[in-house]
Amino acid sequence: MFYIAILLSILAGVSIVLARIINANLAKHIGLLQGTFFNYIIGLFVALIVFLLVNKPFTINNLSFSSLPLWAYLGGLVGVLVVGLSSYMTHKIPTFYLTLLIFIGQLFAGIIIDYLSLNQVSIGKVMGGLLVLSGLSYNLILDKKKNEKLRA
Amino acid sequence: MNNLVSAFIGALISLMIMINGTLANFFGNYVSTIIIHIVGLFSIVAVIIISRSKIKIHNQIPLYLYSAGAIGVFTVLFNNFGFSILGVSIPLALGLLGQSLTSIIIDHFGLLGMKVDKFNKKKYIGLSLIILGIFIMTIS
Repeated sequence: MFYIAILLSILAGVSIVLARIINANLAKHIGLLQGTFFNYIIGLFVALIVFLLVNKPFTINNLSFSSLPLWAYLGGLVGVLVVGLSSYMTHKIPTFYLTLLIFIGQLFAGIIIDYLSLNQVSIGKVMGGLLVLSGLSYNLILDKKKNEKLRA
Repeated sequence: MNNLVSAFIGALISLMIMINGTLANFFGNYVSTIIIHIVGLFSIVAVIIISRSKIKIHNQIPLYLYSAGAIGVFTVLFNNFGFSILGVSIPLALGLLGQSLTSIIIDHFGLLGMKVDKFNKKKYIGLSLIILGIFIMTIS
């Protein structure tokens, strides 16, 4: 179980990058909005099949619907923005840079959300994030120099 | 500008994970995934109607191009399984490892129609900093 969990966690990362590029390629063929539409309709179909296959009894963990704020339903809306913008960016910069830049944005927004909701800041996350940012910047500068040399 | 938009996508993802996590606490993973996709579908249909775009089925393009939505559902399933056994931080670090390796390989060979961007040995210094940063985040 332990090794399967490790393998699947890595594959989750692989699948994120593959889905992003495939969506961008679809968008190139049929348009950005249309590509995002098919992403959601096929995702919904597969999510329904998975739900039927696992056959878990559907229980609501809390007492009433009214305890769940409206914004909790809006993740799908944010997701549409994420899918659309990702498709738009995918062919503009190298895959690895997009991966790292998304990660850095995610990390620092996560730190801010933690601070606002839990009123705590993880020093390790800030330190680690700054290291990732400096490593990425270093490589970006290398690329810039290489491009300038090619142009010269 | 490209870099800012990319980082903004990451910020949106953090917001989305927080929102979807709240929904999943309430409905469980499977039902919440369905709700998220229904809301997403309504949102994109609204945008398409407002912008007066058209939806057509294209038969002449390769079928695999339609697979991203399905892959996204598996991302959620794999993550859930990882979190249930390994906790939160280890699957996050492993997921980032998977993303990084896949990205480097795709760029190096120019797979899936991406431009070839060969891995330069000088970049090992930057890569080491990135790995160290992820390591510190995971153990902290």
